[in-house]
Amino acid sequence: MSGRVLVVDDSLTVRMNLVDMLSAAGLPAVACASVAEARAALVGESFSLAILDVLLPDGDGVELLGEIRAMPAAVGTAVMMLTTEVEISDRVRGLTTGADEYVGKPYDPGYVIARARELVRRGETGREPAEKAVLLIDDSITFREALKAALEHASYRVSVAGSGEEGLRFAADLRPSAIIVDGQLPGMDGATFIRRIRLDAALRGLPCLLLTGSDDSGAEVHALDAGADAFVRKEEDIGLVLARLNAMLRSAAGQVAQQATASLQGPKKILAVDDSETYLQQVADALRADGYDVVLARSGEEALELLALQPVDCMLLDLMMPGIGGRETCLRVKNAPGIRDIPIVMLTAVDDRDAMIQGLSAGADDYIAKSSDFDLLRARVLAQIRRKQFEDENRLIRDQLSRAELEAVEARGAQEVAATRAALIRELESKNEELESFSYSVAHDLRAPLRSIDGFGLALLEDYADKLDDDGKQYLRYVRESAQQMAQLIDDMLALSRVTRGEFERTPVDVSVIAREVAGRLARANQTRKVQFITPERLAADADGRLLTVVFENLLGNAWKFTSKRRDARIEVGVTDVHPRAFFVRDNGAGFDMAYASKLFGMFQRLHSNAEFEGTGIGLATVQRVIRRHGGRIWAESVVGSGTTFFFTLEDDARYAPPPKTANHPTTGAAA
Amino acid sequence: MTPESFILLVEDNPKDEALTLRALKKGNIANKVIVAHDGAEALDYLLASGADGSQNHLPQLVLLDLKLPKMDGHEVLKHIRGDQRTQLLPVVILTTSVEDGDRLKGYRLGANSYVRKPVDFVKFAEAVTQLGLYWLVLNEKPPVPA
Repeated sequence: MSGRVLVVDDSLTVRMNLVDMLSAAGLPAVACASVAEARAALVGESFSLAILDVLLPDGDGVELLGEIRAMPAAVGTAVMMLTTEVEISDRVRGLTTGADEYVGKPYDPGYVIARARELVRRGETGREPAEKAVLLIDDSITFREALKAALEHASYRVSVAGSGEEGLRFAADLRPSAIIVDGQLPGMDGATFIRRIRLDAALRGLPCLLLTGSDDSGAEVHALDAGADAFVRKEEDIGLVLARLNAMLRSAAGQVAQQATASLQGPKKILAVDDSETYLQQVADALRADGYDVVLARSGEEALELLALQPVDCMLLDLMMPGIGGRETCLRVKNAPGIRDIPIVMLTAVDDRDAMIQGLSAGADDYIAKSSDFDLLRARVLAQIRRKQFEDENRLIRDQLSRAELEAVEARGAQEVAATRAALIRELESKNEELESFSYSVAHDLRAPLRSIDGFGLALLEDYADKLDDDGKQYLRYVRESAQQMAQLIDDMLALSRVTRGEFERTPVDVSVIAREVAGRLARANQTRKVQFITPERLAADADGRLLTVVFENLLGNAWKFTSKRRDARIEVGVTDVHPRAFFVRDNGAGFDMAYASKLFGMFQRLHSNAEFEGTGIGLATVQRVIRRHGGRIWAESVVGSGTTFFFTLEDDARYAPPPKTANHPTTGAAA
Repeated sequence: MTPESFILLVEDNPKDEALTLRALKKGNIANKVIVAHDGAEALDYLLASGADGSQNHLPQLVLLDLKLPKMDGHEVLKHIRGDQRTQLLPVVILTTSVEDGDRLKGYRLGANSYVRKPVDFVKFAEAVTQLGLYWLVLNEKPPVPA
């Protein structure tokens, strides 16, 4: 991009004025009097900015704008429409066609040049968002070096000057992005320095941050009078200086460039809304004399249409208008994201208390009675614009600070979570180790004495039988029985804990094979019993084979036990047809009262006395844990005297998809 | 049964020692039983050399408990298998533990058998009798390496 500006206007006066001003501001310009000339110029080179009139002798500036927007070579060209404004609809047409700025004639040359510089700069920073240059002016070397280090740490390029005079030379040469200046300097003080900057057409748009002394109560007024964009007390934290600087630069060139312009003294756009043409013109004249760009709208509807395309810095709104009126317009602006921050000064013809309340209740920021004296109006507008400027900056600073704080909190949180998790894992691991060694001790150390009790009990019975009467022998038999029962309890508890602790691996298994193996062992161990065992050829399932063996050891063991009083004992293993598929173990044994079914799987819960059927009450608790590890369920149905059936699933019921209707689609790898 | 064929029982618990001896007697196994009360003592016995450099007679069978003071059964087994003189010696682990880890470690270190001590003395006696019959009568011991 050339940095050059194309000016298209049929008025020679306007062309000369703009070209002179632009050149003085360091922006070389080419002037054209017609659409045809402009087209020729656009073919030859690409411009950073085009300033277009709308009414041209051989065509329409908005159409030319459309052509520029369609040129691939002109993607980076900013366009400012500069035209005698007739209707809001013209403005809307220009902005929707792609104008970056729309300025009405008669124009304030200072405003146009400032906006032109801003648009060109925005195009440049958009292309290369390189590091920002900051000019730092302070006579105290200590403070200067500390701030310089902090700024460089924050990736700013820093130039330093020791006095205001030196600072002005540097500013002109280096064209920094922002200036930080100490209020108290030898010779030219900080406020004077800023005033000089504001007087320089090429430099007046530079954001300036004034550093003030600690005990200077009038510092704020002084700083803002001089035209500083922000001030910071010198004894404040350097972090605050950085935050202020960031906010200043962001509002100058960043995301909110259109809403919040860089400097209080910089170009400001005011939207005046009134149905009285006379009053509108008077307001426009008064405010344009102050260097504002004034946009005129004749109704609330027009104003809203414009605001949707181009936010402004302040809005003057007549309360009494035809159409939706001032109050409704105000309400809509205050409820629209993006433009609700625009300060609104409500206007009305009479000093009417009710009207005032009505306006303020709709969200207006200020209220003023119409009069021919515009000094008060100008003062109110300036106050509103200043207030908005500070609110914007403060919001940016707040956002930045709270974001940094949030990030720090998040980082701390993540660290804490990780530390907690690591601690929990360590604790769990050590608990597991403890449990492991506890189980080991139980297995080893509790059984050894039991063996002695049993062994020596028997030795007594065998070797000293003649010295004991029948009662004595019976007591010794009880001693041995108890020891053996306790040994069984220990074994069962260990089995239970192994079920919970061990690894879990789901593989395809044949339930029939597992059941037949367990039944075979039971038959060998109880050869006096005759039990009919029925199982299908094959019962496929996805399960942990080792754990499933534990299930059948217990369920078949129970079935075996509870059928011991029948001659025609019959045990069946199978699977239900209904959905979800449940495996079952059915016996024709003693059965139990279903009223106690809920106690079936409880630890140490027994539904039969030991005299009736022996047991520890741990087996079914173990089974239930295994089934739960598979995500399945177990339940039982029983009739006293005719038998019990245990049902269990090996998967979460929810995982069972309904059987597919088209079951015979090719299944690759099914044979493997 | 040659008179010099004897059993080395490595057992620290005197009650278990008494029960094992009683079980052997019940099973009519008349071989001499030498008892070592901890791992170090067992190794001392097996690997000690006489003053003339001659070695103690080796037992026909070692019945080894796992939980022992000073040096546990696994470590004793490791030393037995690590020494040329005893590397082929039949060692049966006779213990209370049936933990997978203990069994795996025992077999990995070269145990010939792993038998759990039942609490019920009748079953215990039966197990010890069968062990004695198998290892002292039925089993052919390895030849002395040339």
